[in-house]
Amino acid sequence: MEGYLLAVGVIALIYMLMTLGLNLHYGFTGLINFGHVGFFAVGAYTSAILAVHGVWLPLAFLAAVVLAALSAWPLGVLSLRLRIEYLAIVTLGFSEAVRLFIVNERWLTNGVQGIPGIPSLSEGLGLPMSATTATFILLVLANLAAILVIHRIVKSPFGRAIEAIRDDEEALRALGKDPGSFKIRVFMLGAAFAGLGGAFYAHYITFVTPDQFLPLLTFYIWVAMILGGAGRVSGAAVGTLALVGFLEGSRFLRDIVPGVAEVEMASLRLGVVGLALILLVIYRPGGIMGDYSS
Amino acid sequence: MSFGYLLNLAVNGAIEGSIIALGALALTLVFGIARFPNASAGDVITVGAYAGYGGQLASGGLMAAGVVSGMVGAAAISLAFYWFVFRKLAGRSAVYPLIASIGAAFLIRAAITFFLGHDQRVYDVPLTRAVALGPVRVVPTDLYLAAGALAALAVVFALLHMTPLGRRMRAVADNPDLARASGISARRVMTAMWLIAGAVSGLAGVLLGVKTVVMPEMGWDLLLPAFAATILGTIGNPVGAVVGGLLIGVAQELSTPFVGFTYKIGVGFLVLLLVLMVRPQGLFSGAERVR
Repeated sequence: MEGYLLAVGVIALIYMLMTLGLNLHYGFTGLINFGHVGFFAVGAYTSAILAVHGVWLPLAFLAAVVLAALSAWPLGVLSLRLRIEYLAIVTLGFSEAVRLFIVNERWLTNGVQGIPGIPSLSEGLGLPMSATTATFILLVLANLAAILVIHRIVKSPFGRAIEAIRDDEEALRALGKDPGSFKIRVFMLGAAFAGLGGAFYAHYITFVTPDQFLPLLTFYIWVAMILGGAGRVSGAAVGTLALVGFLEGSRFLRDIVPGVAEVEMASLRLGVVGLALILLVIYRPGGIMGDYSS
Repeated sequence: MSFGYLLNLAVNGAIEGSIIALGALALTLVFGIARFPNASAGDVITVGAYAGYGGQLASGGLMAAGVVSGMVGAAAISLAFYWFVFRKLAGRSAVYPLIASIGAAFLIRAAITFFLGHDQRVYDVPLTRAVALGPVRVVPTDLYLAAGALAALAVVFALLHMTPLGRRMRAVADNPDLARASGISARRVMTAMWLIAGAVSGLAGVLLGVKTVVMPEMGWDLLLPAFAATILGTIGNPVGAVVGGLLIGVAQELSTPFVGFTYKIGVGFLVLLLVLMVRPQGLFSGAERVR
């Protein structure tokens, strides 16, 4: 049971890193990113490919974070020119393009067969504990660091500027500030968190395939973010826990209710995520931890 | 690579493009009038394909029954989502209906895969031999598909430009406030628009199902090319959507000898990016359409 809870915790913490990144994009800056899973995939594959070729894990992780951030750069540049609805479509297209690339470029990614045998964190770092424990501890530290960084950012002038972009971009321009560089930096930073999450994921599962990076994952994270409250640091934690609680709970439901196959359960999960998105935007766009003062 | 081969690809692309054009027309109607990119359009297309398949099966193989039930089924689901979801989000930032439309897309796909599974189905169409038209070889079925798509586009244009309802719809698309001030009932226009967009999507689903196979992801896969076509032809402009659809279809097919079959969908994305970078207002924007 402890092992199970630890495993669930690892998944929750990986999702939390992604939610923190998305929250930076949408919650604080108002940039609609429907391609978050693309950054996650870039991070996962970068670290996986480097690690199986013998690169020291901390370096592989660093490369994952950097490459995920760099892959967000062109999208950030685009976000300067595009209306937010267009940006949504373009980012969705980006994540699908990443998946197409992974499927097609077999020489690099091994295509649909995926990459097996990715070293786990305890193996790669020579830590004297189980892989799950090592991943869990490092993920806790990574999330704390991420929260600290975001907290510092939000409280700084930079934070006030990006919130101004979300609330009234014209006003920010009128103050003589250029929203462009803020948007690009925010896009890259949020993507870096997703890339870090991807690297943790690859070394935790030790096996990556293109199927693990479907757009559905992006919208899991959207549900977590809106549920917890967009634009709230605490929201990411609350929303992610609720999401993982639901995803894991549905697994138990299948054990209790007889005759529900795993494919049917997958359909049910998809349906619940869809319904949650609809109900949240209609009835609770601010989320559980949402700001009710405005 | 002979000229005839490329010409064949172009013709194939135009036929596929006419189906993309139907999807783009549905998207552009919603974008022009309800003012958000409707991500559930793809899955409404899927509903059309399944409803059409069911209709053809129930009627003992009549293709006409398949077309009608596909259009009715998709129009019904489209109207239902307007009534229960998008109506409640009118007047809010486009972000909210956009996110809700993703939810609607997932809900539709979840229902399809839950009740009907992931099996591929095929329409009951007779296998025909390709006929040679000069250097181009075409399967007669494909000609029927293109003719069906063009007929539907003609009907929608007639509706938009020759009926009072169409005039009201265009008025709302051009200037919602002015339209309201002139006494146009937004609800009636919206209902009509969602019905038309749904029926057009349903036909797209049936045609796509006949051309390929019926499966749960078929409509979602059409979504990016359709969005690309919509933006290429200027959002809210039905003529632009159709031309954009044909262009994307031809571009996708012509690219296959160079980038391979699997990157085809990526070509739609690439075109989308290029248009947004170079001419974000699309190819068909007149001065009066710039928003």
